[in-house]
Amino acid sequence: MQILRKTNLKALEKAKKLGAKKVIDILKKKNLTGRGGAAFPTGKKWEFTLNAKSDTKYVICNANEGEPGTFKDRFIIKNNPETLIEGILIAAYVIKAKQAFIYLRGEYDNLRNLLQKTINKVVKKSGVDIKIISGAGAYVCGEETAIIQSIEGQRGHPQYKPPYPAVDGLFGKPTIINNIETLTNVPQAILFNDWDPNLRLMSLSGNIANPGIYELPVGYKLTDLIKKAKPKNKVKAIYFGCFGGCMPYSKIELTPDSICGKNCIIGSYTIIVVDEKQSILDTALSIAHFYCHESCGKCTPCREGTIRVCHLLEKIKSGKATKQDLEILEDLAMNIHETSLCGLGQTSTNHLLTALEFFRKEFEEKLR
Amino acid sequence: MKIILNGKNIKCKEGKTILDICKEHNIKIPTLCFIEGLKPEARCRLCLVELDNKLVTSCSTYPYEGCKIITDSKRIRKARSINAELLMAGHVKTLSVDEMENDLYKVIRDLGMTRIRFEPIIKYKQDLSESIIRDDNKCINCGKCIRVCGEIMGVHAISFQGRGHYEHVSPYNNHPLNNVACIKCGQCIAACPVGAIYEREHLFEVIQALKNKKKHVVVQTAPSVRVALGEEFGMPPGSLVTGKMVAALRKIGFDRIFDTDLGADMTIMEEASEFVKRLKKNGPFPMITTCCPAWIKFMEHFYHNLFPNMSSCKSPHEMLGILTKTYYAKKFGIKKKDIVVVSVMPCTAKKFESTRPEIDSDVDYVLTTRELSKLIRYSKVDFKKLKDEEFDNPLGISTGAGLMFGATGGVMEAALRTTYEFATGKTLKKVEFNEIRGIEGVKKGTIKIKGKTIRFAAVHGGSNIRKLLKEKDKYHFIEIMACPGGCIGGGGQPWPTTKEVIKKRMEAIYKADRNLPLRKSHENPAVKQIYAEFLGKPLSKKAKKILHTHFVKRSEF
Ligand code: SF4
Ligand code: SF4
Ligand code: SF4
Ligand code: FES
Repeated sequence: MQILRKTNLKALEKAKKLGAKKVIDILKKKNLTGRGGAAFPTGKKWEFTLNAKSDTKYVICNANEGEPGTFKDRFIIKNNPETLIEGILIAAYVIKAKQAFIYLRGEYDNLRNLLQKTINKVVKKSGVDIKIISGAGAYVCGEETAIIQSIEGQRGHPQYKPPYPAVDGLFGKPTIINNIETLTNVPQAILFNDWDPNLRLMSLSGNIANPGIYELPVGYKLTDLIKKAKPKNKVKAIYFGCFGGCMPYSKIELTPDSICGKNCIIGSYTIIVVDEKQSILDTALSIAHFYCHESCGKCTPCREGTIRVCHLLEKIKSGKATKQDLEILEDLAMNIHETSLCGLGQTSTNHLLTALEFFRKEFEEKLR
Repeated sequence: MKIILNGKNIKCKEGKTILDICKEHNIKIPTLCFIEGLKPEARCRLCLVELDNKLVTSCSTYPYEGCKIITDSKRIRKARSINAELLMAGHVKTLSVDEMENDLYKVIRDLGMTRIRFEPIIKYKQDLSESIIRDDNKCINCGKCIRVCGEIMGVHAISFQGRGHYEHVSPYNNHPLNNVACIKCGQCIAACPVGAIYEREHLFEVIQALKNKKKHVVVQTAPSVRVALGEEFGMPPGSLVTGKMVAALRKIGFDRIFDTDLGADMTIMEEASEFVKRLKKNGPFPMITTCCPAWIKFMEHFYHNLFPNMSSCKSPHEMLGILTKTYYAKKFGIKKKDIVVVSVMPCTAKKFESTRPEIDSDVDYVLTTRELSKLIRYSKVDFKKLKDEEFDNPLGISTGAGLMFGATGGVMEAALRTTYEFATGKTLKKVEFNEIRGIEGVKKGTIKIKGKTIRFAAVHGGSNIRKLLKEKDKYHFIEIMACPGGCIGGGGQPWPTTKEVIKKRMEAIYKADRNLPLRKSHENPAVKQIYAEFLGKPLSKKAKKILHTHFVKRSEF
C-alpha cells in the first residue's frame, strides 16, 4: 500500500533543501488534494497560509474521525505514524509555524501513547512543538472551524466561513488544517517519483466477510470492490458513509468518483454495505439517531430538526404514520440539508433523501 | 461592486452583508438571532435568501461581484417557514409576554403560516431569581441573551449548556441565576425575542395593596420612565408623558405620587458634598457613583479593589423611599407601617436592590416601565386621552438635574453643577456639559475647580466599564451605569430598546432639562425644606444614617 510507505525524514530534508515555494509547487504539480471529502488542492491551501502576513502561524492535524464506518485514521496512526508526523513537520516548515496540534478523536485515546512516542522520536530538534489534543467525542468537531474553537477552549461550535482558517484560523492566526490521510501523503508525494495521486483509502464495512481498509485508484469499479469484500447476502444498497447518502446496488456500475449524484457524495470513501436482509428504514433510523446525538445544537434546523426526523421515522416504523407524515419528513429533510449552518447538519439528511428517492416503497409500506 | 438584487441592478459597497444591503433598500427580512453591531452567529436560519440559487443566511453572507440575490420566493418562504415552525414547536406559549412583542409570532404572521405540524416538547424548568425569571420552555436558543450578557455587559453569567437538542441557556453547571455573578441588569430580557426571560413581577402585590383600604400607597417614578412609557401606548419614542403618567397613576388609585427626580436631587446633595470633602482630603480618587444597583453588583463581584472609591449614597429611589417613610410620614402623621412605597423603574436590578439586607429597603415593590403599562391597561385607563396632571407635594418637586439621571452622563452633569458651586461658592454660568452627553461608550471631560483640574468621565455598558476601569486612576470622578445608554436603556423599558430609540429618549430628557426653571439640585425648594426641617445639612449624622449604605464582597462566579 502506498500509504504505508515510510519516508524516514528524507522528505523533510528534501523539502528544506527546496524551500517553501518549491514544496508547494510540487504538491500542486503532483495534484495532491484534501482527503477529507472536499478535495481541495493541498498546495493551494498551503499557499494561502504561506502568503498570509503574520508572525505566528499554526498547523492542525484533524484526527477527529467520527463518521461511523470510517477507520482510516486509526489505520494510518497504527501503521505509519512516522510519516504522518513528518507531514506535519513539513507543513510547519513551509509556513514557518512553531506550534502544531493533532486534534485526536476522544475515542482514540488508546492511540495517543503511540502518537506521543512517535512525536518524541521524530520531532526532536526540529523546533516545532506538536501537541495532542483530545476531542470530547463530538463528531461536529471534525468541522475545521469547530476544531479551532475547541482548541481555543471554547465550545466546539462550527463558525460560518469566510473567514477561512487559512488566513484567519486558530487564535485569529493563519492556520493549515489537514486530515491525517492528506498529511501522510505529503512526504510521500514529495519524496517518491512514482507516487500516485489517484490512490485512495476506502473503509469497507457492513455485513461482509472482508471488512477493512482498501487502497484503490479512483475509477476502480465499485462492483469489483464489493465482490472483493465478499458480501454475505445479496447486496441491496451501498451507503457512502453516513453523510454520503445511499445508492441501490443495481445502479452501481459506475466508478466511485462519478457517483456524486444528487444528495449523494462519495466523500471520504466510506462504504457501508446493506443487504437484502436489512431494512432501509432501520438503517435510516439508526443514522438519524447518530446525527441527533451529534448535532452541536447551534442552528435551528439541525438542533430542532434532527430530533424531529427521529420522531417521524419512529412513527413510521411503528405503523402509526400517515402519508402526510412522510411528506413532512421529506420537507424537513430537505430543509435541514439546505439551511443548516455547517457540514454536519447539511449532510445529515443525505441518507434519508436518497433513501426516499430509491427505496420509497420501504417507507410507504409502513404507512397507515 | 455590482449585484442583482431581486432582478434590479444595484451598486453596493464592499464589506456589507446581504442583510445590510437589504436594509438599505428597505427590504424586510426576518431575523431572530442577529444583534446590531455584534458579529452574527447565524443560528436561527430565518434570514434566508437565495444567492445564485443557493439558500444562504443573509446576516452572515457577503455578496460578490455580479451575484444574483433573491429575497422572496416560494422556496425561501418554505425554508423560513419550516425553521420558524421548528422553533415554534419548541416554544411554549404563556402569558408573560404580549403576543405583539413576540418576534417569533411576528415572523410567523408575516410568513402567513397557519399550522405547526410538530408536537410541542417540554424541556427544562424555570429559573426563578430575585429579579430575573428564565423559562426554558419558551426559549428558542437564539443566543441573544448570552451574547448581550457577555459581549455588551461583560458579565458572562449565562452560556449554552448541553449539546444538540439538549442545548439550553443556563449559568455554568446549571446553577440558578441567583447563585452566580448575574448583575440583574435585565439586558437579557430586553434582548430576548420571545419573552423567555422576564422580570419577576410585583404587579399582583401592588394591586392587592391598592385594594387594601388601610394602606397608604405611595408611588414614585424614575426620570427615565416618563420618556419611554408613551411607547407602550403607540406613541413615538422620545415622547415626554410626565403629565399623563401622573394622571394615570392617580386614576389607578395611588394615594400619593412622588417624583424620584427629587430623590436624585437628594443624591446629588450628598454625593457632591462627599466629593467636595474628598477634594479637601485629596482622595480617595476617583470617586465613583452608586445610583445603579446593577453596577454595584458588578463591582461587588468583579472589582473588590474599588470599595474605597465608591460613594456611599443609596440610589435615588431608595432615598426617596426612606424619606417617604420618615420625613413624610412624620409630617403628615401617617404610621410608617401603613405606608406602602412602590417604585416605577426602568430597571430590574432595583427589584434585587430592594431585597438587599445592607439597605433594609423602604421600597416595598418595584415595577418596571413595562409592568406599569400593564397596570394601566389592567385598570382600563385610556392613556392617550388623559389630561396632564402634577406630582404631589411635598416630594414631587424636582429639577432638570434630577431628571438627567435617566441618561448616561446625566448624573455626572448634575453632580458637576452642584459640586462646582459647593466647592467654589460661585455660580456656575454654563450649566451644560456637552462633552458628557450622547451614547458613546466612554465620555470624558475636565473642569477647573479652585485652580485644580478635575477630570471626570461617564461610562455605560458593562464591557465599556471594564475598559474604563483599566485607566481609572486618571480620573477624579466617574459616573457608571450598567445599561447601555443609562437608565433610558434599562432592562425594564418598553420593547424594543434600540440605539435609535435610546437616542430619542435621551433627546427628550435633555430637552426637558432645558425647559425647566430649576436646573441645579441644590436650588430645589423641596430639597432645601427637607434639610431645614429634617436632616440638617448634607452628610449630617442623620443624613448619613438614612441616605447612605455600604457594600459587600461577592464571588466572581
Ligand atoms: S448544522 Fe448542526 S452541528 Fe452544524 S452548526 Fe447547526 S446545529 Fe451545529
Ligand atoms: S440580568 Fe444582566 S447579568 Fe444577569 S444574566 Fe441577564 S444580562 Fe446577564
Ligand atoms: S432566552 Fe431568549 S434570548 Fe436567550 S436564547 Fe432563549 S430565546 Fe434567545
Ligand atoms: S438572523 Fe441570520 S441566522 Fe438568525
